[in-house]
Amino acid sequence: MISICYSPLYLFELLLSEFVSGLTPYEKKKYVWKMLYIYMLGYDVDFGHMEAVSLISAPKYPEKQVGYIVTSCLLNENHDFLRLAINTVRNDIIGRNETFQCLALTLVGNIGGREFAESLAPDVQKLLISSSCRPLVRKKAALCLLRLYRKNPDVVNVDGWSDRMAQLLDERDLGVLTSSMSLLVALVSNNHEAYWSCLPKCVKILERLARNQDVPQEYTYYGIPSPWLQVKTMRALQYFPTVEDPNTRRSLFEVLQRILMGTDVVKNVNKNNASHAVLFEALALVMHLDAEKEMMSQCVALLGKFIAVREPNIRYLGLENMTRMLMVTDVQDIIKRHQAQIITSLKDPDISIRRRALDLLYGMCDVSNAKDIVEELLQYLSSADFAMREELSLKAAILAEKFAPDLSWYVDVILQLIDKAGDFVSDDIWFRVVQFVTNNEDLQSYAALKAREYLDKPAIHETMVKVSAYILGEYSHLLARRPGCSPKEIFHIIHEKLPTVSTSTIPILLSTYAKILMHNQPPDQELQKQILAIFNKYESCIDAEIQQRAVEYHALSMKGAALMDILAEMPKFPERQSSLIKKAEESEADTAEQSAIKLRAQQHTSNALVLTDQRPANGTPPVSQLGLVKVPSMTNTDQSTAEQELPHLNGALTVVDPQPPSTPSPDLLGDLLGPLAIEGPSGTAPQSDLGVASGLDGGVVAGALAIAPVEEQTNTVQPIGDIAERFHALCMKDSGVLYEDPYIQIGIKAEWRAHHGRVVLFLGNKNTAPLFSVQALILPPSHLKMELSLVPETIPPRAQVQCPLEVVNLKPSRDVAVLDFLYKFGTHVVNVRLRLPAVLNKFLQPITVSPDEFFPQWRSLSGPPLKLQEVVRGVRPMPLAEMANLFNSLHLMVCPGLDPNANNLVASTTFYSESTRAMLCLIRIETDPADRTQLRMTVASGDPTLTFELKEFIKEQLVFIPVPPRAPAPAPTPVPPQALPPTSPPTAISDPGALLAGLL
Amino acid sequence: MIRGVIIMNDQGKPRLIRFYEFQLIFGCCWSILIRGLRLACGEAAGAGSKHLQNRAENVSNFVKVDSLFGPSYDHQLAGCAACVQNFCNIYFVFIFDNSENELAMLDLMQVFVETLDKCFSNVCELDIVFNFNKVHTILDEIILGGQVLETSSSDVVMAVEDISKLEKNSNSIIPSIPGWQGR
Repeated sequence: MISICYSPLYLFELLLSEFVSGLTPYEKKKYVWKMLYIYMLGYDVDFGHMEAVSLISAPKYPEKQVGYIVTSCLLNENHDFLRLAINTVRNDIIGRNETFQCLALTLVGNIGGREFAESLAPDVQKLLISSSCRPLVRKKAALCLLRLYRKNPDVVNVDGWSDRMAQLLDERDLGVLTSSMSLLVALVSNNHEAYWSCLPKCVKILERLARNQDVPQEYTYYGIPSPWLQVKTMRALQYFPTVEDPNTRRSLFEVLQRILMGTDVVKNVNKNNASHAVLFEALALVMHLDAEKEMMSQCVALLGKFIAVREPNIRYLGLENMTRMLMVTDVQDIIKRHQAQIITSLKDPDISIRRRALDLLYGMCDVSNAKDIVEELLQYLSSADFAMREELSLKAAILAEKFAPDLSWYVDVILQLIDKAGDFVSDDIWFRVVQFVTNNEDLQSYAALKAREYLDKPAIHETMVKVSAYILGEYSHLLARRPGCSPKEIFHIIHEKLPTVSTSTIPILLSTYAKILMHNQPPDQELQKQILAIFNKYESCIDAEIQQRAVEYHALSMKGAALMDILAEMPKFPERQSSLIKKAEESEADTAEQSAIKLRAQQHTSNALVLTDQRPANGTPPVSQLGLVKVPSMTNTDQSTAEQELPHLNGALTVVDPQPPSTPSPDLLGDLLGPLAIEGPSGTAPQSDLGVASGLDGGVVAGALAIAPVEEQTNTVQPIGDIAERFHALCMKDSGVLYEDPYIQIGIKAEWRAHHGRVVLFLGNKNTAPLFSVQALILPPSHLKMELSLVPETIPPRAQVQCPLEVVNLKPSRDVAVLDFLYKFGTHVVNVRLRLPAVLNKFLQPITVSPDEFFPQWRSLSGPPLKLQEVVRGVRPMPLAEMANLFNSLHLMVCPGLDPNANNLVASTTFYSESTRAMLCLIRIETDPADRTQLRMTVASGDPTLTFELKEFIKEQLVFIPVPPRAPAPAPTPVPPQALPPTSPPTAISDPGALLAGLL
Repeated sequence: MIRGVIIMNDQGKPRLIRFYEFQLIFGCCWSILIRGLRLACGEAAGAGSKHLQNRAENVSNFVKVDSLFGPSYDHQLAGCAACVQNFCNIYFVFIFDNSENELAMLDLMQVFVETLDKCFSNVCELDIVFNFNKVHTILDEIILGGQVLETSSSDVVMAVEDISKLEKNSNSIIPSIPGWQGR
């Protein structure tokens, strides 16, 4: 083929010139292969796609094959050229030639585009269950269907597939069985309810394999009967929440026991891999099934054995599975017994294993062993690979922050961290330590002393210079009495570092000098002169930030007493979630397929992620900490900025901050560096005033909280009014009340423009006490993109908070978005699920069409799927005029006079979504004056999904669904608000998986 | 699912690349991936070992893709792992997400290698370069759309042989398939 020494550029030119001239099919084939080769070398091949696609329709096998393979490698599902091939592919799939069928199925299975799904899914389904097809075709069909289903679950119809799946699992051919099992995993992971019938069959298959009955030789891999199928089957079983049938359960556990007991480490690497693949899957299944404690501890014992074996793969997986196990069950204590071994694994020759060990240590760390683990990590830091140091230092910092037994230890750890691996310590880490020191008075002199000690070291990292300079600037006066800590000495030791630092550090040093100058009491003329000389020097600095500071500090230092006020100590930082921990949470991203274990783990409230403010207080007083809110009031006139100091049960006073609780790290920098230079302590003044003002109010509430009887915890908060009714009313209008109970009222105001919408949620606290732990989460259906702005954690008394919500409609669908709303009032935790009125008709805009426009359109849209007709029975009887009103309120413009028959209605509207853009929809209703409960409805539009969804939507509106007080409303049903025990820790709300788990 | 399959030579030059979830990534991301994998391969290979069985005793075959990119790099393979094996100076890499069993991936790779070995009788780098249509065909018989299609190497060999026969007598417009028995 291609000589390797061709330069790719030369090849490009060659190919381009060849494509221009006409080609024989043989040449075409040759060049398309070359194209793929260039692509593989890492060059973006954006030409010749047409040629590749056109080869698919070639009559001869070799060319066709090339076309198929190259197309599936080069093009992705969104590629326009694929449309050209759909017909050919379909013909190949429904054709008689099995070779062609295989090629086509491979292409569709590898690309899996939406258009393929729409036009081919039924044919593929037919192939899969047809008995006349050979196994070779059927196994490909199974995987092809799986791909189509996974990519476009809404297009591929799998209703009623449970019986067929059960049939497929009876298959004797292990190849087909393997593919079907993969398909089953995908189906079950989506909806396990429908596939209960498959469960016993899976267990049967497992038994058959474990006993090695009826397994052909070619599927025995190094003496183990199809490890693949065993693994897949156990994966499928993990998606069922439990095994209820006692017989099935017993036989399943027999098999599992056999696997757990009967696997040994042997000489042959491949056999080892295969048998342990099965074993690890069995472990995962046992963990999932929450087997008897006996089996569970057996599992941990096995894992403990694995992390010490010679075989590196098994060591790796032992650590990995222990990490997973941490999330699932309460075996932490047993795992802790292996801590020494895990720490030894940090010195494993394999970096992957070292990383796993680090992850496991990170996961298993809690208050009891934090000190040991963090110190171990610090020690390891100096010998760790450079590739790991950044992660290592980040993890050490997070653990130190999360589980610090006391704060001075935390400061020690971070300073050590900066000392040992300054290059790998991100700014977030040192910002955080400064924040802690500022907020804790007990810590300040200790931190200053430590910083002073580090400055004595001969060569220190620049980050260390920054931290020490900042801390000493703020708090060195606390040390003034100690030897070597006079302002002058501090100044000199810091000033020594100035020549070695970069421009980003100089501003911090200047601030430090200014603060030293301020604390220089009684004034030391010499020191003052020196510092002023430095300011003078930097007044002409090229860096604007440095120059500004130098000029300002110089001017300020001339002010005498006023300097004291302006340069007073920094006010406390608002308490907020650590940006480090936030980062760590974010990085735990999900992959396409939710693993069963993870799904379950999120149902358990994992204690792996402890919130910062739940630090165990032993000895040290808790940090003054509390949520902080600014309430953007709805009507600015009567509710001016309602900043309130809120009492907390532990009595700590709070700081009110005009920012939402979680601010990304860049602001942190602003916080640290900004006010220092310009503002001074003015921020503290209004707070203290407010504290006095609201003191009385707060006291009352705190008392009330303390008295609140415990029984109240289980009481239910009853909503005022019917939630379903309110929802239906809001579907027709754009503003109103969505939900109300004795404590809170949620109002809604919406504006809709084309496929965009802007909904504002008004959260109003009706009481004289604040509402805590307010959490609002949007669970959007797949067709809506919704973005809710930050909801403050606390709503002050009698205040109203606005939360804008941006909505984008991606495609037509009747699914409804759900708002999961949670708040705490006193001892109540109220959690409600509310449907949001972002329904189909909100994306409609009425349009009048003239007869000249209407009829050609109506005729051009002929027949299903673009035009659908249905006779609707059970219609709520209403006069025609009322129906016309209903239509108009649904944004369906009734066009009178288009239909000659007075009993008929014709309406038109435009639907907007991102996929369809503006799309004209036409509706015709033919009523029967004799029987008002039935009518014939015809809906037409340019998009089949839209037609269907719109038809169903109108039908829902017309058909009267009597709503008895507790009628099951259409899904998703609003869950009646219920009071949860307040002890339940807040779920990790930023985690989409937790949401999912909550829904299940 | 299996996200991708890469075959490289001992200098880290790609010899076959197949991604199942997205199209090939280019530029910086790509070179980081390849470089990282090369490093990982180097470690997995140990010092100058020639055969799969002789790889360094104490090094595992698994690498987390995230670790190749560093903690804060945003890439399309987040959360994926790769398993790496060398075989006669060719490196095989499977990239897969957490829905797959790691050791089973290693088994599958062994099946793939054994199949290549049977088809080319002692596969070497040049076999893959000069027959890369055939390698693609073999891969398509083993993995489809990121899922395992067939785990029996004799079945795969049979299917591939039938296809090669078809290719040879491509004179007939619609090829007949005499020996085309699934199993």
